[in-house]
This record gives sequence, structure tokens and C-alpha cells, in this order.
Amino acid sequence: MKDLEFTVEYNREIVRGVFEMRLVSSEPLPPIHCGQFMHLKVGGEFLLRRPFCIHKFDEYGITIIVAVVGGGTRRIARIKDGEKVKAVLPIGNGFTLGENHRRILLLGGGVGCAPLTTVAVTYPDREYISYIGFATKSSVMFLSDFEKFGKTVLCTDDGTVGRKGYVTEVLREDIAEIKPDVILTCGSTPMLKAAARLSLETKIPAYMSGETRMGCGVGACLVCACAVREKNGEAVNKRACVDGPVFRLEDVIL
Amino acid sequence: MTTENRTVDTSVVLCGVILKNPIITASGTFGFGKEYAGFYDINKLGGICTKGITKEKREGNPSPRIAETPMGILNSVGLQNPGVDGFIADDVPFLEKLECAVIANVAGRTEEDYCYTVDKVSRLDCIKMVELNISCPNVKAGGMAFGVLPQSVFDITCRVKKYCRKPLMVKLSPNVSNIADNAKAAEDGGADCISLINPVGGMAIDWRSRKPILANVCGGLSGPAVKPIALKMVYEASKAVNIPVVGMGGIMTAEDIMEFLVAGATAVEVGSANIFDPEAGNTLVNELTNLMKRCNINNVREITGSLII
Repeated sequence: MKDLEFTVEYNREIVRGVFEMRLVSSEPLPPIHCGQFMHLKVGGEFLLRRPFCIHKFDEYGITIIVAVVGGGTRRIARIKDGEKVKAVLPIGNGFTLGENHRRILLLGGGVGCAPLTTVAVTYPDREYISYIGFATKSSVMFLSDFEKFGKTVLCTDDGTVGRKGYVTEVLREDIAEIKPDVILTCGSTPMLKAAARLSLETKIPAYMSGETRMGCGVGACLVCACAVREKNGEAVNKRACVDGPVFRLEDVIL
Repeated sequence: MTTENRTVDTSVVLCGVILKNPIITASGTFGFGKEYAGFYDINKLGGICTKGITKEKREGNPSPRIAETPMGILNSVGLQNPGVDGFIADDVPFLEKLECAVIANVAGRTEEDYCYTVDKVSRLDCIKMVELNISCPNVKAGGMAFGVLPQSVFDITCRVKKYCRKPLMVKLSPNVSNIADNAKAAEDGGADCISLINPVGGMAIDWRSRKPILANVCGGLSGPAVKPIALKMVYEASKAVNIPVVGMGGIMTAEDIMEFLVAGATAVEVGSANIFDPEAGNTLVNELTNLMKRCNINNVREITGSLII
């Protein structure tokens, strides 16, 4: 983990209320593992940093996806190309695949698709099938990113493009045929709950990347507690920042 | 001698413990130190205060536990910690290697809990002082915090002092009617020094959903928003007692540190700033030295209590 200065190469709205920002560092970045995130200093009157998963990365740059949900993200959305920003990265455990995980199912909902695009970069030797869901045609993002590394099924809740219905329901129809070794997922809480049921029914292990309000981002302040059930059944609070953000889906108390 | 090459003395002595500089990282914002060790050499700090330690392991409050408010943060972590035995097993080995002063922050639900934990941590060689967090609800007194009434501040300090083998620092809550009375009560109870302020009680609401932002409904406000409150209380408390005062509340810059020293503090704790910037402690140590050089201050100790009215 390092607190690095970046130059904003671009910050553009990709669908309404969602921004894609590419940040470039003058020095090579520390090694990044898929599913890790960064903690961005907002600036202005905002004191707390905001965590964003790393959507794309290379040696000198990273791309993040910012959904405007409040004052802090509204301010980030206004950051201009060429501005300097600071961010701590890379943070968290990220997605870890076992050797036996050959056929990987990526299950994303909305902006929750953003961290899943890095998995095939860290693990290029696996087979990927992606199910990505959005509310409607105008909110679809990342389709070409997912298509680059495997078969991708696009779903919209209203059926304006792709298959109609919640992405987890569409997946339910197909999963017996796909037979993935593991499901990696990120999205809204209702989506994660549906994914957890599917994982339980099919006995296919699943891992989720979670989101919570965060403080320090380095594991010290304990504000990003994520309730997780341990093997003995005891519920404990894990730190989403450094113990997560990726947890076994069935362990998380959603 | 040029300004750049001058050496300045940033050291302070707090209850016989020598600190390289008056900067201590505040409890709850610095984990057990190791979380920040990758960012800078934490031995540069005057000291570190551990996360609040209780007799038993605690899971703390449900999430969300934090909200940003104008120039401040509201938190309700609820003393999540590994318990004193977990602390000794997992965190003490790292703390033993540190050169800066390590202060163990202790909390509890009963007087017996406090005494048990203080006895255990104050036996450890690496622990140079104990800071008593008396903002916890006292289960025996119907849930009112130990730190609210002067009498209960006096009682808990007296009880704990008997078990404390290191200097005892009592951390005062600002959510009281008269801070000077509570400061005096801690001194009368045997505190070797006091620290203040703990966060100010507060609340944040999302009116559209009609819900509080914190799962615990209310929490503690810290950060620059509370600095004027903290300065006033440090000023009032330091006038009321003859023991050293450690000041805190929204310190972000070396100028802020100087303000607390002028108000009467011997040393300061830096809390929220660590959360905003993992290198805040390092930055403040450097800034303080530079500020002293620029302002021709040879010795930081001469600033304490230098307020002119």
C-alpha cells in the first residue's frame, strides 16, 4: 500500500451518473491483484477518502468507476482532466482463484461489474463466462470489456437490450448447462442475496466483493465492519478494507 | 546559523515518560500501530495510543459505523477489539519493537473489567502509560457513562489507580456539564495526567429515507469541526488541575498543535487526521519542526500554557 499522486488523464460520464476516471502515475505502480481497490482523496471540504475498486490497470495507470451517490462522489465527478489527485493503493485481498477453478463465472450487477474486469488480467489462463445485468439499455456499461475474455450474457431488468430479467434469474436458467467451478460476483445487496441462494442450491462456491462506508482504508479504524460467519457459526466483524473486500458469499451476513 | 540548519528541541516529558515530540496518535485511529508502519517510520512519533482494549473480545456495533459531516466525522465503532489476551498474543510482539512511547487505551463495562485489564496491560514492559477511556456505559450505573459525573470519574480513577503499574492518563469526555470539575475529579482520584477530548456526541440523518446514517443511530463527532470545543475544554481543564494535560480534537496541522499547547497541553493526540491521510503523523512531525524553526522556537515545552489574556 502506498499513497501515490496521480494525474487525471480523463474523467468522463459513461452512462448517466456514472463516471470513468483514468489516473496516471509518474512512477510504476506497485503490483495490483484483481479485485483490489484504492482510496481516493476527494479534496475540497471533504475529509474522508472514498474507496473505488480498480476497474482496469497497467504499469502506470488505473481506471476507476465512480457512481454519483452523494456529495463526495459528486465532487469527484467534477474533477477535471489534468488535475492531480492522491490515492492509497492497492488495498484489500482481491479475488483469489484455486488451481481447480478453471471455468469462471463472473456475475455483475450495474457498477458492481467494475471489479470483475480485472480477474482475467490476473488469471489469463482460465475460461470466463460473464453474466452482467443492468436496469435498462441506457445504463449498460462494460459489455465490450467482458466480451474480450469470454462469452458474455447481457441482461436488463426491462428487456430493452439483451435478455430480460434480473441477471441472477437469467443465470439460474442456464447454470446447469454452464457448470462453472466458481462464481465471482459484485453488485447490489438484493443481487448478492439471490446469488447466495443460487450458490447454495447448486453447491458452486461463490465469492463476492463487498462495499461499505469506509474510514482509514488501511485496517486501523474498524469502521468498515462486514459481518461474516466463521466456520464455528460465530458471527464476527471483519474489516472490508484489508480482510476483504472479497469474502466467501455464503459466509457473509447480508 | 541558518534557519534550515538550526536544531530545535521537540521533546516533552509526560509523567516521567520522555516523548521525542508532543505528537501521540489517538486511540481508535491508529489500530495497534502496525497498520501504519508500511507508510512511514512510526518511531518518529512521540507516542501511539492503542485501540481501546477490553477484558473480553468485542465485536462492536453494526455497520454503517461512519458518516462524513461538515468538517468532521461521526463514528460508532463500539470498541471492537481482540480483548486483552488477544492484544497480548497478537499485537504486543510488534509493539515491543517500537522506540516511541506506547500507551494502552483501556475500556470496560464494570469497574472490575477496568481493573482487570489495566492490571494486565500495565505489567507489560512495552506499555509506558495507560489511558483510561471512561466514555463507556457503566452497566452497574444503569448505562450512564463512567465519565459523566465528577463523582464517578473520581471513583473509577481511584479504583483503577491501585492496579496501574504505569502512569495513568484519564481520557475525559466532552459530553459533560463542567469539564473543570471532571478534570479535578480525575486528579483527585489519582490520575497522573488527563487527556481530552473524546468525541462529541452527534448524529447524522438521511432525511429522504427518514433514517439515521449510523446503524447505532448516534455516534461521536471528531475532526476539525470539534477543534474550538476541544481548545476551550483543554484551556478550562488545564486551569483546574496541576497534572499535565494532553489535548486533542481535530488536529490537522502543526499550527493546530501549537494552539493546543498554548491552551495548556503538554502533548497532543492526533486522531481523525490519521484516517484522512495515512501519513498524517509523519507530516505533522516534520511540519512541527519546520514551524518551530520558522518561528524561532527552540524548545516546544516553552509553548505549553503560554496563553496571554
